[in-house]
Amino acid sequence: MKVHEITLEKKYHDAVEHWRRHNFKDYELLLENWDRYFPTDERFCLCAKLELGTSDQVQVGEHRGEKKRVAPDELTEEEARHLLGIIRAQASTEFGSIQQHSGTLERAHDDQDRFWVLRVMAEELRHGYQMIHLLLSQDWSKASGGVTGREMVEEILSMQTGNHVLDAFNLDYDSFLDNITFAALIDRVGKYQLTMQKVCAYRPMADSMPPMLREEAFHLAAGVIPLRRWAKRAAAGDPFITMTAIQHAVNKWLPRGLEMFGDERGGETNVKFGFKDMKNREAQDLYLEEVRRMIRDINARFLRARFPEIGAEQAEQVLADLERNRGAHRGVRHDDLLRLPDRRFFRRKGEPAFAMVGVDGEAFTDVEEYLRHLAKNLNEGYVASRDMRNYAEALRGVAAGTLAVADAVKKMPKLKRVGGTCPCSKGVRWVMEEGEGAPGAPASGAGA
Amino acid sequence: MPEAQANIRVRPLDELDIGAIVRIDERITGIYRPEVWEQRVGYYLRRDPEACRVAEADGKVVGFMLADLRAGEFGLEEPGGWIERFGIDPDWRGRDLGRLLFEAIVAHLKAAGAASVRTLADRGDTRITGFLQKLGFAPSPLQALEIRLAQPPGEQRR
Ligand SMILES: [Fe+2]
Ligand SMILES: [Fe+2]
Repeated sequence: MKVHEITLEKKYHDAVEHWRRHNFKDYELLLENWDRYFPTDERFCLCAKLELGTSDQVQVGEHRGEKKRVAPDELTEEEARHLLGIIRAQASTEFGSIQQHSGTLERAHDDQDRFWVLRVMAEELRHGYQMIHLLLSQDWSKASGGVTGREMVEEILSMQTGNHVLDAFNLDYDSFLDNITFAALIDRVGKYQLTMQKVCAYRPMADSMPPMLREEAFHLAAGVIPLRRWAKRAAAGDPFITMTAIQHAVNKWLPRGLEMFGDERGGETNVKFGFKDMKNREAQDLYLEEVRRMIRDINARFLRARFPEIGAEQAEQVLADLERNRGAHRGVRHDDLLRLPDRRFFRRKGEPAFAMVGVDGEAFTDVEEYLRHLAKNLNEGYVASRDMRNYAEALRGVAAGTLAVADAVKKMPKLKRVGGTCPCSKGVRWVMEEGEGAPGAPASGAGA
Repeated sequence: MPEAQANIRVRPLDELDIGAIVRIDERITGIYRPEVWEQRVGYYLRRDPEACRVAEADGKVVGFMLADLRAGEFGLEEPGGWIERFGIDPDWRGRDLGRLLFEAIVAHLKAAGAASVRTLADRGDTRITGFLQKLGFAPSPLQALEIRLAQPPGEQRR
């Protein structure tokens, strides 16, 4: 676990700092209070970190056993293009999540939650910095169609919520509950992506993963631990925190998290090229099981807070009974607990894209009825958003037979920045794009 | 009762282990204290999740050991590992799970540059000191010293 730290060439380092001043205003506040919230922890370093002493042999795919590649020129053109797509998507998610967290950070209920999220944001900034290092440290022109490293960095730093490569990073937060649910669900996808990429046949990418993963472990804690505490407060009858609100946040983010793995039927290329060690569905299955565990854990926390006299085993028994009978136990109904939404619920990409499946797996045939179901199971702020309006429009088209699912998938509009590189310029407008996502959008995703 | 042939796996700590750690601690001490473990696990996960391990038997967490690497404290410049907390579900004792956890942690700490591993234990607790001795711990030239402070009347000791 020895790490080599690298700082970008000054002009690029300054560009990231410039972006940070516009998009991450509390960064200085975090550094000033670091010792108060994270005493004895290493100071934060805005730098790229490469793990030393990792394997130099390709572990999976058709090059298995060969020496890992250390420059894009050692990859085939197709491999290099594919990997470049992964790196750009990863970079986009890292910066994107900072913009999302910023919106509702001030609404944190207590300072510890807020500073935990601030640390998560700083580490996402470092992850973005890491990806920029990968783009700049080698010549990718063969794979980028002539786009230079400088132009790629400009493109990444000019993205705003709405035009990131992956949809989860295009959604605004509606409350601080989104900050922690995002950390618990979307950063968890990030953990899977990074873990799969530990084997990457391109060694600088593989060596970037372990330091990022160590940081990711805390990001998940910064989501799950506050959620556990919120469940306790909900159990105590706090009028401002309910399990229903948490469930609505889960319903909002889980479908986007599942889509970040890429289409359920895909991911073979990643394995073939030795970039990841699992295909999309395989990874998605494991992820879903882990989210199931998380939900059980939060439910158990809720039950023990509601019934302080019962022990761990009894709480587990009550939980199992409620899950099985969907009934009630001393005033706590099955509906009062969190549940894992069906994996086909509210999907707009992948195998079940635009299928009308409810939270509990129930099938809908009428669009308006399905939209009412969504409205009932998502929070009000989100239901009133532009994102929902666009989705509803596309869904109506699919149901009426006037829009093919594949076209509906592509139809989600994106907020596109026009002109300039400084993110403070307000040159942002809605545009409909041809094709799906940004150039180089990968067949399978990334995650903060 | 636990299976004789359970499938044992030792892996790094993650945030979903809090519930299991709370349960093990409760079985040992009789006290349910989720807040304490939420705080402690939060602390260790942001330090180095691989320096902490849990033992799973057939997928259920039945033991844990929390450690981290420190340097520059108390004049100890050389990086050293510190083991702070551990616990084994009473139903799963006597199966060397503590040793498995310890060995995994030591291998990681060593790779991270630790020159020693330390811990503090209550000398009167022979179950703990016996366990530590079996792992190879011996009294250190460093000595833990303390002064008990009298609390002003009416103020509660934490
Ligand atoms: Fe990240
Ligand atoms: Fe993250």
